Amino acid sequence: MTTVLWLQGGACSGNTMSFLNANKPTVVDLITDFGLDVLWHPSLSVEMGKDTQQILADCASGARPLDVFVFEGSVIQGPDGSGRFDMFAERPMKDWVTDLTSVASIVVAIGSCATWGGLVAAEPNPTDSTGLQYHRGTPGGYLGSDWRSASGLPVINIPGCPAHPDWITQILVALGTGRVKDITLDELGRPRTFFTSFTHSGCSRNSFYEYKQDTEFFGEGTRTGCMFYELGCKGPLAHSSCNRILWNRQSSKTRAGMPCLGCTEPAFPFDDLAPGTVFTTQMIAGAVPRDMPPDQDHLTYLAMAGAAKVAAPQWAKDDMFVV
Amino acid sequence: MSTTIDLNVSPLGRVEGDLDVRVTIADGVVSDAWTRAMMFRGFETILRGKDMRAGVIMTPRICGICGGSHLYKAAYALDTAFASHVPPNATLVRNIAQAVETLQSIPRYFYALFAIDLVNPVYAKAPSYDEVVRRFSAFTGTSYQRGVVLSQEPVEVYAIFGGQWPHSSFMIPGGIMGAPTLADVTRATAVIDHWRASWLEEQWLGCPVDRWLANKTWDDVMTWLDEDPAHRDSDCGLFIRHALDIGLDTYGGGYGNYLATGTYFEPALYENPTIEGRSAALITRAGVYADGVHYEFDQARVSEDVAHSFYRGPDAVHPWDGTQDATDPAAGRDQGKYSFGKAPRYDVPGAGRLPLEAGPLARRVIAGQPRTAPHQDYDPLIADVLAVKGPSVFVRQLARMHEAASYYRLVTSWLAALDLGESFYSEPVDPTSARGYGATEAARGALQDWVVIEDGKIANYNVITPSGWNISPRDKDAVPGPMERAFIGAPIRDPDDPVELGHVARSFDSCIVCQVHAYDGRTGRELSSFVVNSMV
Repeated sequence: MTTVLWLQGGACSGNTMSFLNANKPTVVDLITDFGLDVLWHPSLSVEMGKDTQQILADCASGARPLDVFVFEGSVIQGPDGSGRFDMFAERPMKDWVTDLTSVASIVVAIGSCATWGGLVAAEPNPTDSTGLQYHRGTPGGYLGSDWRSASGLPVINIPGCPAHPDWITQILVALGTGRVKDITLDELGRPRTFFTSFTHSGCSRNSFYEYKQDTEFFGEGTRTGCMFYELGCKGPLAHSSCNRILWNRQSSKTRAGMPCLGCTEPAFPFDDLAPGTVFTTQMIAGAVPRDMPPDQDHLTYLAMAGAAKVAAPQWAKDDMFVV
Repeated sequence: MSTTIDLNVSPLGRVEGDLDVRVTIADGVVSDAWTRAMMFRGFETILRGKDMRAGVIMTPRICGICGGSHLYKAAYALDTAFASHVPPNATLVRNIAQAVETLQSIPRYFYALFAIDLVNPVYAKAPSYDEVVRRFSAFTGTSYQRGVVLSQEPVEVYAIFGGQWPHSSFMIPGGIMGAPTLADVTRATAVIDHWRASWLEEQWLGCPVDRWLANKTWDDVMTWLDEDPAHRDSDCGLFIRHALDIGLDTYGGGYGNYLATGTYFEPALYENPTIEGRSAALITRAGVYADGVHYEFDQARVSEDVAHSFYRGPDAVHPWDGTQDATDPAAGRDQGKYSFGKAPRYDVPGAGRLPLEAGPLARRVIAGQPRTAPHQDYDPLIADVLAVKGPSVFVRQLARMHEAASYYRLVTSWLAALDLGESFYSEPVDPTSARGYGATEAARGALQDWVVIEDGKIANYNVITPSGWNISPRDKDAVPGPMERAFIGAPIRDPDDPVELGHVARSFDSCIVCQVHAYDGRTGRELSSFVVNSMV
């Protein structure tokens, strides 16, 4: 049995809701078939009150071995470093985080708030929120970049707003079935299996990206084109598997005509949602998208785009996702 | 949802957080209560100065369980500010998305959050107890497993139109971002039909949707229960029998005063959304019911107090003028403040500013009035149950579960009405300065946005969530909030395991993690404390 304790800080419960959408395995399967012993979860557990406090205290003291500590939501440090903007069981939540991360074999941050600080850490960050081991891409966060769990690992970061249910369940199953050695992490602590590809990988609009054909407007405008050029889509630069492992077994934002917000990236929300930055591609000199896929420079891009537009066949200018 | 909660002052903070509830118990009955929301995130503060459209990205993330509802009202707040045109197709898709989120929430909430308390050993002598344990126990109950897993299906429909659930932002001023295809509509229809057959009818009702909806009175429900063993043995039948056996119909009623802001628009009546034209276009109606009298709902009559909330600022402030100046709870306590929730109040003509309960019961009370236009939802059942039995934990639950059948029918009618060859979006013109108001009904009740746009950016933003209404602390006149009032009179059979407090708190389906502390009314000795599980 692998013991799991899940707490929420500056959270919306969206990752829990996403987790409940998991199928094959479902959340119930994890517990009944895969040997996960969920010691406590704020939305799922029967234990309450004194029983819950006892579980937390026993984990913190080491009396009860804690294999996996899952944290959802930002670590709220305000006001003035007190953490009192988020009180849980009579203490600042950040103090529980300190105690529980120091005893857990493995710590998993779920969602972009727990990993990077996320949306609640957007300017002016009124609660002094931060992620467990990063603050919007800068190493450090609440625990510090040198922190390691009892088993010697950094925080396993599963970003996303929310994280995809399969990203969560598959990592938990791997931890519960002795496959921890198969989880390789990238330089930001993300499981490479999910975050090496881009949202773009598998997007149904790739044919339009290839020929630099844009989607000009929403609604029926999204029956054609790629949303990277005008509508602010972050798909080509956001690391995720949203178009490889579909959402709710059905679709993805970009397939449904919504520009990717890059919600898995440390920079989310991009540009802190400043005026003029929402659903609008930020351009350099009015001609080149500012945000490029990694390792692509603007000049090479310009040359490639020019050639692609010339090469574009007629079908790339017509509607593709027709009734 | 609701889940919910940041009862925090700022609307943005009201959706998710930790709620402490303190009660006093005298002679085995709750004599007073205080609900304390203990987490602040500051969403409304973050929104100031941001892009006009930032609300459709930020506000869904207030609440992971009501995110689609947040999106729905945020889009309408912008529509009223932009004076945009919303094509009928876009209204239909928005309605479908709003409704399927609620259809997800109903079973997920019932099994995962509410019904697991029904297996509490305090009820071991109830006639249906063994069956309740077999079905409703957490993780292992037969109905729990199926119900929680099948709750995924309605939001598969959401993903077909919006890309994913939770946390899409596919509704924008002027319509929706995508344009569905034939395959999308047929798949959505098949998915929701599968959910109807496998959960709603086979597991929950034990009868066709139409048979359940033929129930117009409490007597009809009693007749339905005995009419067929399949009814009696359905999860709904078992819930009704067990709830009456253990007395859930005898406490938890609260003030009996209600607020609904309504939701779902008749497409042809709301192509040009305005604040003034909103109520007339609603399918599930808006309204206020106080001391036995129905009133029209008017957003101008909403205001908030912070006298007992961890914020600085004046009381009785309309949300367009709202502020979010949070204080350190350690300092606020000395001024009698005890919650990050503000206290929303509604100025009822002739009766003054009152705390009102939001939620499915409120919606069904309003829906029980005779309709004044053919597009309106008229539904007398729950109003009759309320008249016969009075408000309680049970009636609140019955109202919530009853809505599954009627919203399913609405979703299928909207899917059938989509005209795929027509438009889904009209590009609006961005305003420089404007005010907007948008509202909906999340699964757990009235959800509203007020936005002020100045110089082409957000000057002020205020969200009032259903849990903001329900978990409100005392107002400037020390009048308790709806949930605080609903605790009063609850019998506490075992102060070391006050499950009755859990039933009351969870019957509001608040979007929070509540920590409940029970104190002995005479000695002040802490009897026990426990966490009430809830969503958002």
